[in-house]
Amino acid sequence: MTNYEQLLRVLASGVDFIIIGGFAAILHGSSRLTEDLDVVYVRSTDNIKRLAEALAPLHPYLRGAPSGLPFLWDAETIRRGLNFTLVTDHGDLDLLGEIAGGGTYETLFPDSVVVEIFGVTCRILNLKSLIQTKRAAGRPKDFDALAQLEQMLEQQE
Amino acid sequence: MSPLPKDLRPDPIIELYKKDVDMTLIRENLKLTYTERAMKLMELQRAAEELRRAGRELRARK
Repeated sequence: MTNYEQLLRVLASGVDFIIIGGFAAILHGSSRLTEDLDVVYVRSTDNIKRLAEALAPLHPYLRGAPSGLPFLWDAETIRRGLNFTLVTDHGDLDLLGEIAGGGTYETLFPDSVVVEIFGVTCRILNLKSLIQTKRAAGRPKDFDALAQLEQMLEQQE
Repeated sequence: MSPLPKDLRPDPIIELYKKDVDMTLIRENLKLTYTERAMKLMELQRAAEELRRAGRELRARK
């Protein structure tokens, strides 16, 4: 089980990120189950350093990788990579430097909103942009979720 | 017709899925705070994990 409260507390301790994906959909009111936390993070040197330090105590490891595979969690690893699907002591976490359609933290920022969850102030992608990102991903598994999100948007407008 | 913005023109496949969306569940969720929505998700995850565990146990008994 993913402990969203603990993961958000760790990330919000100094990392710049935007919540996207299924958990953002839940925060917008979706009723679909999701099991991980997806965030888009800033690729700056400082933010990567803060991200590496914040998550290190949670023992991040590549999700689905055979155990024992050498994997060093540090700023250099993050800098050399881009998107990471991780398992941590607090659950599954996807760290995304960029998402389908070219979305980075900087391009998504204007379409994000500030919310308070568990007393933690975080940014989540707004509903319209969340739909756009899921459409851009083009995954059949998202059709049902998209139908729900688009109906939610229609009700809002 | 869908009132979605121009850059979100209706997708025929997603339109088909829309007829099965239960908006009553969403309306109930919208009554909750962000924290309550997150807590509800974690309760669902716990329940799902328990069902998976029970399923594994059942299969192991066969």
